[in-house]
Amino acid sequence: MRWVAAIKASVHAKLLAGYLLVTLLVIGMGAMSLQTIAKMSSQGQLLDEAHERVHWSQEIQHALAMQMNFTAMALLLRSEATVENILRENNRFNNTLARLEKAAQPEEVELIQRIHAAQVEALTTVADIANLIRDGKVEDAMRLQHNKQYPLYRRIEEFVTQLVERERNKMDRLRASVAAANRNTLILMASSAAALMLVALLLGFVISWSFILPVQKAHGFLSEVAKGNFAATINVPNRDEFGALAAHMNHMSQELHRLYESQHQGSQELQRLNEQLQQASKAKSNFLANMSHELRTPMNAILGFVEMMLDEIYGEVPAHLREPLTDVQTNGKHLLRLINDVLDLSKIEAGRMELVLAEYSVQDVVETVRTSLQSLALEKGLGFVAAVDDDIPLALGDGKRITQCLMNLVGNALKFSKHGRVSVWVEQQGENLVYRVADTGIGIPKEELENIFGEFQQVDTAITREFSGTGLGLNITKKFVEMHGGRIWVESELGKGSTFFFVIPLRMNHVEVT
Amino acid sequence: MSGKTILYVEDNEFNLKMVRQLLARTAYQLIEATDGEMGVATALNEVPDLILMDIQLPKMSGLDATRRLRADPKTAAIPIIVITSFALSGDDQKAKDAGATAYMAKPYSPRELLQMIRNLLPEQ
Repeated sequence: MRWVAAIKASVHAKLLAGYLLVTLLVIGMGAMSLQTIAKMSSQGQLLDEAHERVHWSQEIQHALAMQMNFTAMALLLRSEATVENILRENNRFNNTLARLEKAAQPEEVELIQRIHAAQVEALTTVADIANLIRDGKVEDAMRLQHNKQYPLYRRIEEFVTQLVERERNKMDRLRASVAAANRNTLILMASSAAALMLVALLLGFVISWSFILPVQKAHGFLSEVAKGNFAATINVPNRDEFGALAAHMNHMSQELHRLYESQHQGSQELQRLNEQLQQASKAKSNFLANMSHELRTPMNAILGFVEMMLDEIYGEVPAHLREPLTDVQTNGKHLLRLINDVLDLSKIEAGRMELVLAEYSVQDVVETVRTSLQSLALEKGLGFVAAVDDDIPLALGDGKRITQCLMNLVGNALKFSKHGRVSVWVEQQGENLVYRVADTGIGIPKEELENIFGEFQQVDTAITREFSGTGLGLNITKKFVEMHGGRIWVESELGKGSTFFFVIPLRMNHVEVT
Repeated sequence: MSGKTILYVEDNEFNLKMVRQLLARTAYQLIEATDGEMGVATALNEVPDLILMDIQLPKMSGLDATRRLRADPKTAAIPIIVITSFALSGDDQKAKDAGATAYMAKPYSPRELLQMIRNLLPEQ
């Protein structure tokens, strides 16, 4: 099998060669049988001929006996009339002998010639006997017949018997040889058929197993690869299509191994980078938290001293200094808001922001926001209504953070509206609280609706300058709402206004917090 | 001078200066300490009428100092205002837990701080 597998030929060529070999053997066997049949038929002909010769010899014997008989008859009747019959029998004898001579073997020719010579002599004697009978010398004729013709005939008969014997022996030999030939032929045919079958079976077995073995190996190899063992190799002795296939499979396995390795390395690298990134992100958040705290201390002094100046603790403030001092105060407060937002955000991102859960009144939340921002609404000449159902029960959550969220939304609404009104509704829907803040402001373009809750996102930097927001309020609001297990979204129409919604559970599940 | 004494424990000199100037025009007497340990020692020595305690201090935190003072009978009853770093960060709750009478988020308004002091400790 290995030897067949190692033959450098295609599967097609191997199969073809196998079939061709078997076919040639079959043809060879056919030719052999045809030859045998021809031989047997020629032997049959020989047998027929031998049979015929025996027949002829017997006819000669018969003709001889008849001659003897007619001679005796002529003597008995003392008439030469029967000589005619003798001649006729002689003719039959001669004709048959001639035929025998023609078909005779060289060793028989001599015997036949001797018969012939004896017959000529016998016929001469017959003529003499006939003459003697005609002349009435019957006694002489009888003597001649007894002394000469009879021994002559006996001699001829002896020869003929010899001939018949020979022919019969020849026929027997021929018959025996034909039988032997038949037997041999039968044995030869049977054994070649058996050999042919054996060769065909062997060829089939060897060729098919030279294909099956690599297929089995490939099967084992592929299951190894499927299990992730890319280091496996397949090794077949085949130098045909299966050999090429095995080489391709090894190449494939190597490639897979290489890909797996590089992918593995890549993923490890990615994991390492991700860890680094997480650490960096955490470090950044920690840094921001600390910085915000450090920033707060000087802010305390700045805002404190300015306030004390404006409160005239250091004496009267000249009129022309009051405006710049107020500007310092306004910007200081804005800076403080920024610091607060950054602190919140960094705490959320560092995972250090925790909600302080307690029962709180939704009505108080709305009232706090309303009183804090009423003056701003008045200042801008905007309508400001805040409606909340009186029968909403105490909520559970971080009331201060929810206040901060509503404050951010209402503050934005007032900031971005130049005229019209800002409305706040809070209602209970089943287990949830729905907060709604609607304004008649500038609106938000559709493509910005998704991004508006991202960090440092405002629709337009020009607007940021005009309305001076930190850009962090919505992001922080979204995060607090989500920390409460709620969600926030906005519906808006450019130029007509926006409505912000957030929905949070009325009573937060403690499990959600942990 | 028989004015009531206020101890301000704070490590930032400008904040100290600000409160010093704020109280200069009042009847309150200000004594100062610049770290937590010094604050506790001064409070135990001087026994002020009110203590302003910053939450972040060197050597000992404002919360620890508050707990120490609350634990000592000499200072247990003195009103303590803890200056927290940020009202919404949960510091207020921590301040209350440590025994603070009240808390004030930093940055505070001097005006509001003075109001709170006056509420807890009448000037006259």
